[in-house]
Amino acid sequence: MINQRKGKIPGPLWASTLLLALFFGLNLGAQEKFTISGKITDQNDGETLFGASVFLEGTSIGAISNEYGFYSITAPKGEYRLLISFMGYTGKYEEVVLDRNLKINFEISEQSTELNEVVVTAEEPERAVLRKPEMSVAKMNIATVKQMPVVLGEVDILKSLQMLPGVTNNAEGTGGFHVRGGAQDQNLILLDEAIIYNTSHLFGFFSVFNADAIKDMKLYKGGIPARFGGRVSSVLDVRQKDGNNKNFAMTGGIGLISSRLSVEGPILKDKGSFLIAGRTSYAHLLLKAAGEDNTASFYDLNLKTNYSINDKNKVYLSGYFGRDVLKFGNIFDSSYGNTSGNLRWNHIFNDRLFSNMSGIISKYDYDLGFTMEDFVWVASITNYNLKYDLKYYFNDRFKLDFGASGLLYDFDPGQIRPTSDTSSINRLALDKKRAFEAGVYINAEHRLTDKLSAQYGLRYSNFSRLGGQPISNYGNDLPVVYNADLGIYESGTAIGETDYGKGETIKTFGNFEPRVALAYQLNDASSVKAGFSRFAQYVHLLSNTAAVTPVDVWTPSGEYIEPQLSNQYALGYFRNFDGQAYSMEIETYYKTVDNRIDYIDGSDLIGQNTIETEILNGESRAYGLEVLLRKNEGRLTGWLAYTLSKSEQRTPGGRAGGSGINNGEWYHTPYDRTHDISLAGAYQLNEKLSFGANLVFQTGRPVTYPNGQYMYEGISVASYAPRNSDRLPAYHRLDLSLNYKPNRRPENRWKGEWVLGIYNVYNRKNAASISFGQNRETGANEATRTAIFGIVPSITYNFKF
Amino acid sequence: MKNYIQNFGLLFLALVVFACEDVIDVDVQSAPKRLTIEASLDWEKGTSGNGQTIYLRTSTDFFDTASNTAVTGAVVKVTNMDKGSEFSFADQDDGSYTTTTFEPIVGDTYALEVNYNGENYYAEETLYPVPDLTVVGQSRDDGFSEDDLEVNMQFVDPQEEGNSYFFKFQKEGALLPVFEELDDEFVNGNKIDWYYESDEDDDTDEMEAFKPGDTVFIEFYAISPAYHDYLQILINQIGGMGIFDSTPVSVKGNCINLTDPENYAHGYFRVTQMVKASYTFE
Repeated sequence: MINQRKGKIPGPLWASTLLLALFFGLNLGAQEKFTISGKITDQNDGETLFGASVFLEGTSIGAISNEYGFYSITAPKGEYRLLISFMGYTGKYEEVVLDRNLKINFEISEQSTELNEVVVTAEEPERAVLRKPEMSVAKMNIATVKQMPVVLGEVDILKSLQMLPGVTNNAEGTGGFHVRGGAQDQNLILLDEAIIYNTSHLFGFFSVFNADAIKDMKLYKGGIPARFGGRVSSVLDVRQKDGNNKNFAMTGGIGLISSRLSVEGPILKDKGSFLIAGRTSYAHLLLKAAGEDNTASFYDLNLKTNYSINDKNKVYLSGYFGRDVLKFGNIFDSSYGNTSGNLRWNHIFNDRLFSNMSGIISKYDYDLGFTMEDFVWVASITNYNLKYDLKYYFNDRFKLDFGASGLLYDFDPGQIRPTSDTSSINRLALDKKRAFEAGVYINAEHRLTDKLSAQYGLRYSNFSRLGGQPISNYGNDLPVVYNADLGIYESGTAIGETDYGKGETIKTFGNFEPRVALAYQLNDASSVKAGFSRFAQYVHLLSNTAAVTPVDVWTPSGEYIEPQLSNQYALGYFRNFDGQAYSMEIETYYKTVDNRIDYIDGSDLIGQNTIETEILNGESRAYGLEVLLRKNEGRLTGWLAYTLSKSEQRTPGGRAGGSGINNGEWYHTPYDRTHDISLAGAYQLNEKLSFGANLVFQTGRPVTYPNGQYMYEGISVASYAPRNSDRLPAYHRLDLSLNYKPNRRPENRWKGEWVLGIYNVYNRKNAASISFGQNRETGANEATRTAIFGIVPSITYNFKF
Repeated sequence: MKNYIQNFGLLFLALVVFACEDVIDVDVQSAPKRLTIEASLDWEKGTSGNGQTIYLRTSTDFFDTASNTAVTGAVVKVTNMDKGSEFSFADQDDGSYTTTTFEPIVGDTYALEVNYNGENYYAEETLYPVPDLTVVGQSRDDGFSEDDLEVNMQFVDPQEEGNSYFFKFQKEGALLPVFEELDDEFVNGNKIDWYYESDEDDDTDEMEAFKPGDTVFIEFYAISPAYHDYLQILINQIGGMGIFDSTPVSVKGNCINLTDPENYAHGYFRVTQMVKASYTFE
């Protein structure tokens, strides 16, 4: 046995040997090369810069700084001019004699006027944009997000994102967003790598992201790198500021709805820095019947600290805590929110190998208190995530990302606890669920020729639904059956339960997720790109309502719920005009999702222990064309985004029998928008005054209207048309904002600015919904439109010192 | 309780200063007409329950107010499946069909047969016993508003699981009744407190809070679990479906069409035991 083992290299080791041979093999025969590495930071506050480009002038050798500001480039021995550039920052260069490995850290500063600021930067300057295979990515500059007109003056990155092609909301005042015809739960939303399960404050009037605490954000609409997994539609990667490590600084603002204050500064003899940002709403301003009876408020707290142990090691600790508190009369109160924390360790092995290890906890929970009936209802989802990511800068043509991640989930779908002995409600706990999701990935960025670049990778994900709960069994193994007599879907016949012990696994799924993207540079100003990606999603948000609400719960795949699997194909054409003053991006995509859950008519999800009796397994597909035209320079900057798209779903009866939901025919998803046009502009008049404007037009949301009525029990009852076969009227509005920075002396540290805004300038009553019912006085049927925001003026004062 | 959770978002929107509601004109689709069967054989506890009426009508376009919907010329019959006794309902030529000989028996299952336009419709339903309902008085601190009057009731849910109830409240002089439903999923075997408060609607003034002197009529039914499922959807959709509600559906009752299954009837065949009460606020 022993001899046998000696003779054989174990599988994993064999594979890694091959991998290593591959890397070093690529290096054979190359001329003598050296590496320049280092960090790029902001000169004023020491924040590391993500996405800055580093180039050797006169060559095609360059790199982009990573999330932690680290870059590494390798080039043949020689003399070069090293150029650093980053949108909105003054470029810098340095002459280098490359005859050994060098470590060069750069500090660059923001341009003094914001005239040249690009509103949305699609990553970095000219050549790279065209050459990098990465597509379908939108990055937003926080400074610009802050200048865009917003409702009630509450800066909101999620609302700003919706101005980009391929991104829509569900309805005004509802939470989350939809990417390329995907559902809300198909977005992976990360705040400093921690999963945020609910992005909404006050049902979506505002988002949980406090712009003062955020450094940058990046939305991957497709072409998602292999290091991300777990959702089939998009990844929104939001990163908090590290905190100013040069000076103590305070930033804040006073608005109509909330006030903000953040404090940051160096700590531990300048080896570290911290940021604490808080935001709280004024409880009553939003509400009609403000007072003791009804309140609605929210607050959140962002924390971040970091400490440089030495040149090669740095640790970060970040956290988020946010909560909404609502009270409705004396019958009902609720609070809900996210909590997350992340401890990270950056380690630079050498000038080419960068690593990061993260330990992350995140949780979303809510409670509902029923004062009169004396009971509370609580539910939560918690996860613990450990991940290790490495990046190897092999040479200027080949870079490799690889890593692994493990994610443990605890689902508590609901518990009822009586709060007094006299409560008429019985104690109840729905079965808690546990699951483990593992992922390993490897991804290469490979420049095949001077014109052709590729990004290719593979992710393997594995999901185990863990025991510790009973699973119901059903007659014929059918949790839902079609009642052919009545023409309805109903619960199957439960025939006992199988009890799974804590050590047992209920079901395991594994999926290979290949990701490939190619870019071919046609000439100095244009390129074409193509991509294919496959994703698997193992957790699902249960929601049968038009808009997601805070009480919707997440559920894992398992015995009766299959993982969602998606394939996305994208093709794009990119072009710069007039240098890079103007740019154009055109992309088309086609996306399919298998195993999309759909809900049977009249499904009851509240307090439902056996979700499988309320759902059927369906599929969805989406396709579209996106056009983005941008003006990047000059006093007037901005963009025009147009999306033509379709998003549909279909749910056949399958084994349950019957023809399925909506007779098994394709029907519009609630987030299907045929046309979506957004125009965003900013005009800088002078150093003191700037203006912003948004113009939005969208096809109305698909909805279900009545198609008849009948008298029953003394009232008129509506019969309804097939699902989502009607549409709300088109949505459109114009917003304006004015930004005024009063005279200030350079020596004065206090910097203030006023932001005045008008949302929905022409006061269009955009329907968030139209509901149909009987007028209680006349008995006649009528259609009632609910419009959330008419014309809303706002004023905000921001300061910094 | 589920209603509050279901309408959580709606409750919130109703309070928001900026949100505004108005009645507008909307074009809606027009579905083919269907037969509507309102066969509610309700036996008031303590009475004979012999006299019963079944209504047959057709559906109309959603905004139609003019059409005559009465269905005449149908043959309507109810059979006690356990005892074999049959009750024919006589056509009154105004859409109503009546009998004076019905015999309600707790626990028995009944079948409805309707022959109309050459098509046979069929449904079955079982009669469940109703517990006594005690009206215990009025209060102000229960209910959504601390200021408004509500009437308080009490009943005891039996020990065995699977009981469902239907409440019908009608304020004297009001055009439309208000429906509520309950099953014993969370409250099995308990003494259950119930209240009814006329929710004041600030926007439309269509509903007003109770005032001293107002009378409310209460009907309390024991219903089958299947009818509860039906009512739950129906009641939830009364008054319309908003952005935080589920996609509205055509609620399907138990009257199936044996001749042409696609041409099912709206409405329901129910057989219930019920109690009535009324309360005048002081």
